[in-house]
Amino acid sequence: MSAIQNLPAASSREAIVSIARLNKSFGSFHVLKDVDLDVGRGEVLVVIGASGSGKSTLIRCVNGLEMYQSGRLTVDGFHMPTQADREIGGDRELAEIRRGVGMVFQQFNLFPHMSALDNVAIAPIRVRGRKPDEAKAIALRLLDRVGLREHAHKFPGQLSGGQQQRVAIARSLAMEPRIMLFDEPTSALDPEMVGEVLDVMRELAREGMTMMIVTHEMGFAREVADRVVYIDHGRILEVGSPAEIFDRPSHERTRTFLSRVLRH
Amino acid sequence: MNAAALRWAHRNLFAKPFDTALSLIVIPVLAWVLYAFAVWVLAEARWEVIGGSLKVLMTGIYPAEQLWRAWFALAMLCAMFGAGLGLSVRPGRTALTVVALAGAVVAASAAAVVGAGAGALTAGSAALGIAAWVGVHRSASARRLVLPGLLAGVVAIFAVLSPPGFELWGGLLLSVVLTITVSILTVPFGILLALGRQSRIASLRVICTAYIETMRSVPLILVVYWIWIIVPLLAPDASIPSLLRGMAGYALFFAAYVAEYVRSGLQAVPKGQVEAARSLGMSSWTVNVDIVLPQALRVVVPSLVGQILDIFNGATLVFIIGLTDFLRAGQMILADPQNSGRTYEIYVFLFAVYFAIGGAITFASRRLEAHLARGSR
Repeated sequence: MSAIQNLPAASSREAIVSIARLNKSFGSFHVLKDVDLDVGRGEVLVVIGASGSGKSTLIRCVNGLEMYQSGRLTVDGFHMPTQADREIGGDRELAEIRRGVGMVFQQFNLFPHMSALDNVAIAPIRVRGRKPDEAKAIALRLLDRVGLREHAHKFPGQLSGGQQQRVAIARSLAMEPRIMLFDEPTSALDPEMVGEVLDVMRELAREGMTMMIVTHEMGFAREVADRVVYIDHGRILEVGSPAEIFDRPSHERTRTFLSRVLRH
Repeated sequence: MNAAALRWAHRNLFAKPFDTALSLIVIPVLAWVLYAFAVWVLAEARWEVIGGSLKVLMTGIYPAEQLWRAWFALAMLCAMFGAGLGLSVRPGRTALTVVALAGAVVAASAAAVVGAGAGALTAGSAALGIAAWVGVHRSASARRLVLPGLLAGVVAIFAVLSPPGFELWGGLLLSVVLTITVSILTVPFGILLALGRQSRIASLRVICTAYIETMRSVPLILVVYWIWIIVPLLAPDASIPSLLRGMAGYALFFAAYVAEYVRSGLQAVPKGQVEAARSLGMSSWTVNVDIVLPQALRVVVPSLVGQILDIFNGATLVFIIGLTDFLRAGQMILADPQNSGRTYEIYVFLFAVYFAIGGAITFASRRLEAHLARGSR
């Protein structure tokens, strides 16, 4: 059987995301191969790997932005429909899942035609049916929490990359997600802005948010991660505590990857 | 000042031998043409024919005792154009002066040719338009009312103009009302077609694509004529007036073009926008209405305003279904033997009016484009 069986499980926590034998292809390109992974409630899981290894695809499967062909994926008790399910319209549970899963993108993807405040307030108004005044009051509190209260009425084009990404985090939090996905949240930022975004994420981790993070910030990963997953060519090669992965990697390929990214 | 003018002339007109030769030929010819035209306009042309037939040119055979309805439409149209302008063009001192002067010149001409009453009504309409322009620009709450206001304006124009009968509408009034109605009808229809063309439902996608491609590959005049003929065959008892059938033909035809503009706008919205909206749990309807369409339409608005000009110019083809638009009204006047020698006067007048209205639409479209480009950043 695969090596994964021997790896440490999600400690004693109850699993909020449960992935079993998940397979995903883009046409003939097999991106994810028999992936097994559980994420515990309140856990911070960092996914690392070379570009093209499938790490972004993996977390994009968790909120259904990518469709998988076979395997089992449950998120907070809901079963994520497979591609075949979705093609025949079986996507009621998908909407349920997305309401409980926040996503932060590499390119921020703020809505450019709305102020920062409206960006944060729109989903609670449209999806949860909150009253606009109420939603805006909550949005203002969230912007305050990411340190942007005084920028609430600016448009995304008037904000720096770091500020935009913090608004994007507040926008996700407005839906009160039970799990947050981060897809390389600092990769599109100028170096001097990386810190402000990582600070917000660190704060979230401290508050007990369940997070799945794809990142190249190895220092940050070592600091906040409960567990680190190393993906290589669509397979999970190693899972373990930061110390296990960074200091005592058991696979040759993990060692090669780490020596490449940690050298500079 | 003189030195600057000389330098400009040197650089632009006489910089090289070829420029000099060209300038020496073109400038005198142009001057002679302008001079001859000015002599004709000021001394030789018999402009009384315009004054005598202004009622027909503007309203066709609309009953003379009902003309107050047409005046109401004029006032309404001025207010609507002013309100539209207020969304994008700042009423600065120069712009206001130019518009006020133009209004005054038109009003004075109306007063001189038709009478003091007509002059006063024209001046009043122009003043209303300017007031709407300034008002909308100044107040944010008025800006929110513009879109419903425009729709209400069209409905009001129809309600007031229709009692004497649709078959009596004519002249410039017909051209303008047809243009505005068709422009407004095509937008929702075009958006639905564009969304249908991208739908996940295959049958919807095929129908919308076939509709758009069919309309785009046949001439406007054919569609208008065809709708005009087929509607009475489908509903023999309804007797729908030619004007409404004509409008339906124009709307069905131009909606296909709107759909293509909207589609280009939809494609300009980055994929990440949809992903972000989806991952917040929004339904496809919300994603389209709140996230995708506002961004797509922003890109498309200048093209849509530009298309109003196409519709206005295309409206000259309604004579094919027996309606008397502005151009046709001019030809009717020339058909009267009494006016037989006045061909040039009528056509120069038609040209001037078409040019003025087309120029205004082009100007509004340009300004809107610049305004939106500034807003999006």
